[in-house]
Amino acid sequence: MKDIPLTLYVVDDDEALRRSLLLLLFSQGLAVQAFESGEAFLDAVDMRQPGCVILDLRMGGMSGLAVFERLRAAHSPLVTMFLSGHGDIPTALEAVRQGAWDWVEKPDTGRLLDRLPAAIDEARARAHALRLWAELTPREREVARLVGLGQPNKEIARLLVPPCGPRSVETHRANIFSKLQCANDNELGRWLAAHPWLG
Amino acid sequence: MPSLSTLRHWRRILVAAGALAVIAASGGWAERHEMQTKTEGLRQAAAAHALGLRGLVEKHDYLPHAAARHPDVRDLLRAPRDAALQARVNDYFTDLQATTGAAALFLVDRAGLTLAASNWNTPFSFVGQSYRQRPYFEDAVQGRRGIFYGLGLTTGQSGLFIAEPVRADGAILGVVVVKISLEPLQAAWMRGADPVVLRDSHGIVFLSAVPDWLFHAIRPVSAADLRWVADHRQYGNRARFPVLPWAVETRAGTSALVLHTTVLHTTVQGHRMDLLALDTPLPELGWTLTVTTDMKEVVQARQLALILATLAVALLLLGVQYWRLREKRFVEQRTARIELERRVEERTRDLEEAHAFRKAMEDSLLVGMRARDPEGRIIYVNPALCAMVGYSADELLGRLPPYPYWHPDDLEKQARESDDALRGRAAPHGFESRIRHKDGHDVITMVYTAPLVDAQGVHRGWMSSVVDITAQKQAEARQRDQEVRLQRSARLASVGEMASTLAHELNQPLMALSNFAVAARALAAQGSSEMLAGALDDIVEQSRRASEIVKRVRAFINPQRAQYEVLAVDGVITHAATLLTPELRRDGIALRVDLTDDGARVRGDRVLLEQVLVNLIHNAMHAMHDRPRGHIDLVTRKVEQGVRIFVADEGPGIPPEQMDQIFAPFFTTRPDGLGLGLNICRTIVEAHGGFMTVENHAGGGAAFSFTLPTVP
Repeated sequence: MKDIPLTLYVVDDDEALRRSLLLLLFSQGLAVQAFESGEAFLDAVDMRQPGCVILDLRMGGMSGLAVFERLRAAHSPLVTMFLSGHGDIPTALEAVRQGAWDWVEKPDTGRLLDRLPAAIDEARARAHALRLWAELTPREREVARLVGLGQPNKEIARLLVPPCGPRSVETHRANIFSKLQCANDNELGRWLAAHPWLG
Repeated sequence: MPSLSTLRHWRRILVAAGALAVIAASGGWAERHEMQTKTEGLRQAAAAHALGLRGLVEKHDYLPHAAARHPDVRDLLRAPRDAALQARVNDYFTDLQATTGAAALFLVDRAGLTLAASNWNTPFSFVGQSYRQRPYFEDAVQGRRGIFYGLGLTTGQSGLFIAEPVRADGAILGVVVVKISLEPLQAAWMRGADPVVLRDSHGIVFLSAVPDWLFHAIRPVSAADLRWVADHRQYGNRARFPVLPWAVETRAGTSALVLHTTVLHTTVQGHRMDLLALDTPLPELGWTLTVTTDMKEVVQARQLALILATLAVALLLLGVQYWRLREKRFVEQRTARIELERRVEERTRDLEEAHAFRKAMEDSLLVGMRARDPEGRIIYVNPALCAMVGYSADELLGRLPPYPYWHPDDLEKQARESDDALRGRAAPHGFESRIRHKDGHDVITMVYTAPLVDAQGVHRGWMSSVVDITAQKQAEARQRDQEVRLQRSARLASVGEMASTLAHELNQPLMALSNFAVAARALAAQGSSEMLAGALDDIVEQSRRASEIVKRVRAFINPQRAQYEVLAVDGVITHAATLLTPELRRDGIALRVDLTDDGARVRGDRVLLEQVLVNLIHNAMHAMHDRPRGHIDLVTRKVEQGVRIFVADEGPGIPPEQMDQIFAPFFTTRPDGLGLGLNICRTIVEAHGGFMTVENHAGGGAAFSFTLPTVP
């Protein structure tokens, strides 16, 4: 999975801090794109593409939390890491509860470097999942969702628009398992639950 | 295609021709009618005249017949020499003549010699005269009855001669002649108005009502006739008979009566006359009777008819013209009316449009408009004003001051401003007016008043525009309020909050420092010295940034003493308590203030000292957050060193093991606390030359106190 090119974003309104992060991550061999505000970031980035973003919670203009809300609303596969100050910890915790990947309290550079690889791995995993998902036909995606919900073939055949026979649902199901590298319904269900941001 | 004017021209000609034809026809009709009447009259006159003439002839007709049978007459013819007989016959004739009224009676023998005559004893006695060349003699000698009109050879008097042969035994012995004078007849004719003419078989007039026409011929007399007349000496020695001075015009067409009437144009006694003439032949006498009547009446009738017809046609034309004029005028009037209606309609539409435009404008206005007459009666309001005051237009129109929307608290002011406005003394830049909306809320308005002048330039009242400035006023009030709150929150910004801000601000350069440092280590390991140098520079820079922040905090906590002022301690405490009142109320905690040392004054920074109090009270509130309805005591006591201020709560108190650390930096019992608040408070108190202590009350709860030196 390492071969998937991955974009790393930094969003911070403090110029020195932003520059320091760029240098830090560059020194760790990571390519980084930096933005001075949440608005600039949302304008420039394709939220449908996988990647990893380091967001400062407290910023002038759009706060880090507001940017995250936008990403979440757009079902973005971007992995979000927050940088928080001492007093913002409850906010950061709430953000993680709502689906942000992690947070690091300033000024803890060591912890940032510790937690970043996991986030990057997650971003790669999401990119991979997205690619697999893209291989499915629209019909198969529909079937896959219904399978993930635990619907039997007969019911799926009935729910599809336009409806089809249970046998073709069975064919779809086999294709889905093969393409998504899943063994059974349970695995597919877990896979879909792990990637709620799939379009 | 002929033009309209050409058509009209032709029509005029036609109408004129028609009118003329009608006039001519009526003239002709009247003429014919009159002519018919005249002709009828003429016929009757002719008949009457003929009858009279015949009567006259017949009256004496028998005379010669009877006389011829008298024995003496026959005897005398047989014995012409018998004088006695002759005398007897003469007497007999004279007697007969006198009895019958004939002009003369005489007896002629076969040779034409007169044997006896009624006028034997007169100078013009016929006796002895010869009449053998007279036609009546010739006729009678041959056995025929002779009738002849002519001049008497002896007397020169004209008369009608009737001759009868005297027969004896089949032989004609002689002729008895009676002469009848037609003079009385002619005299009677002359008295009549219409000329009557009698002419003989030669066409020669021998009896006429007009003397000038006598012995004139109706046509030139032929030579034979002339000779015959001369031979018979019918009219004496007269040998020439000029043609009558008549212009004859033959008339036809009086169809009902086949009468050959003619029209004569002639001159009678110098007067030109047009006469209608009717010839009646009298064959037994060989004469022709011509009766005439004056055409004047016909002409007059015709003229009258013409005049009447002309008048009638003129009247008709006038009527038609009048009717046409009337029609034209009617059409014009109708056209004018339609035009007027169209213009009125157009004008109405314009007005409606203008009105709709004005209405839309008025309705769209957010500014309230109100017009008043000079007495202050409301004569107009627009929807915006109605919306502003909550009253409908019906409720406002016609109202006099006080208006229903006047604010009850401002009645006097409103009345004064209204009077001013009505006297034209309204403030040119408008005045502010508070009004009461119908639903009870207040509206602040700005009122601008201008004179209302109508199209004639007459001053009709006042027009006011009313602008709702409530929102603006509220915004201003809010801003003022916000400013006050900001001020208050600046003071309220507890030392804790300040410390939190400080921590965040410090975190930025610290994080950057840390990042640069880690990066520097990695870069050093990678041997990229250039980037390493840059990173190290950044580290230096971020360190300075951090120290700047710290300096700012220190400056805040330790202001220059020069800025200190003398403060009443009570004032500082009361103000701090006031600042916290809302929060205390929210938490249900009562603040008991006990200021025992009135008038104590200290020298210091009001804001910082308030911050110390606010921080201590905040801490006390925190300590009591699970004990509602508790009390916080705020007490001042005069002490030896100055004044001591206590803030005591009813919380759990401070555990004895923490007593020593309570003022240490970064010591906190709260999860989100920074542990700087009390430390900073102590720093502030000490900066003011005081000191701070803490103790636990016997009855529970902690009591923080600080002592400040007083100034006289």
